[in-house]
Amino acid sequence: MRAGTIPSTAYDDMPYTRGGTVDRAEVGALVRSAVDGDAAAWKALVEGLSPLVWSVVRAHRLSDADAGEVYQTVWFRFAQHLGRIREPDKAGSWLASTARNECLKVIKGLRRLMPTDDPQLLDRVSEERTPEQSVLDSEEAASEAERIRRLWQEFAGLGERCRQLLRVLMASPPPSYQEVSAGLGIAVGSIGPMRQRCLRRLRARLNAGEAL
Amino acid sequence: MNGMYGDGPGAFDAFGQDPFDDEEFDDQQGEQGDEGTEFDDALLEEELRQAAAILDPVPAELRQVAMDAYALYDMDARLAELTFDSLVDAIPVRGALDVPRMLTFTAGELSVDVEVTSEGLMGQVMPPQPAGIEVLNGLQALRPTTLTADSMGRFTSDVPPTGPFALRLRTGGEVVVTEWLRA
Repeated sequence: MRAGTIPSTAYDDMPYTRGGTVDRAEVGALVRSAVDGDAAAWKALVEGLSPLVWSVVRAHRLSDADAGEVYQTVWFRFAQHLGRIREPDKAGSWLASTARNECLKVIKGLRRLMPTDDPQLLDRVSEERTPEQSVLDSEEAASEAERIRRLWQEFAGLGERCRQLLRVLMASPPPSYQEVSAGLGIAVGSIGPMRQRCLRRLRARLNAGEAL
Repeated sequence: MNGMYGDGPGAFDAFGQDPFDDEEFDDQQGEQGDEGTEFDDALLEEELRQAAAILDPVPAELRQVAMDAYALYDMDARLAELTFDSLVDAIPVRGALDVPRMLTFTAGELSVDVEVTSEGLMGQVMPPQPAGIEVLNGLQALRPTTLTADSMGRFTSDVPPTGPFALRLRTGGEVVVTEWLRA
């Protein structure tokens, strides 16, 4: 909505055009509409930016319970701050940064409570199968499902830094590099080169697996 | 970030600085002969995006909570920002378990000190004054726990907050809400 009036500075750093760019450029306008009482604008913000918040939380490897609480806290805060946000166009970065800070607090709290830093406790994965996962079980989807599972498995086997970066980059719609920077606390300028290395490392793992 | 509140990027970092500058990027193995193009990279990233949407999507119930959170948007209430959090701003006490979480929220000249333990919650409104206090615990708090601060501004609750919580204070004819926080 209100196309043509929104500055898209958040994308100036993009080395190439990503899908979803148009949606994301509307964020500032949506924030302003939500401030004026437009509930549909808020809904659109949640739809457009939820995957980014979730990706940042997942990149920090919290338990499902902690991840859910951080996710909620981030949105509650965003609602509180809505009318006070100085740069509505950068609401995505605000959310990513808030999510990161809350994740780091959870990690700090766990470290303080645990006698040892047991990485297993930070690395729990949900045992429950989502409806989407169950769809993968249908026979015609079997080979596609296998491909996706292998991709996910090789992704999960990457080093911590690559796994973190790619987990945030794969949010949908694709996040801007400022948002990735805010969500992971890394310099915008280092994201492009790291992304390239991590994706090529992942491709190498996939190719190595096929050769076996 | 953006100076909106105190715990923006750089305020602290559990992993120290330069989190990505480590040995993980020192070895070049596995990259030789695999120099895909930027197009290949974009394609692979897109496949990951599809995989994430299937294998690790935002849980539907959480998405709904975020939708409903618009109800928390309230320009009439003053926002008391988190200005001190012992989890971030205090030196951890080694070996001490169940250390109380000390929090300070500030809205102009008014501040609220809160101490959260596994036993409950206690706090004080400064400058000292009576206040009605609701402990908000998520969105479903139709009947939030209600506390009363005495003339010294002190209040206690034997119900420890869990998950996201905030305090809504009514004092001197105005409403002040603390920033949402995960207990």
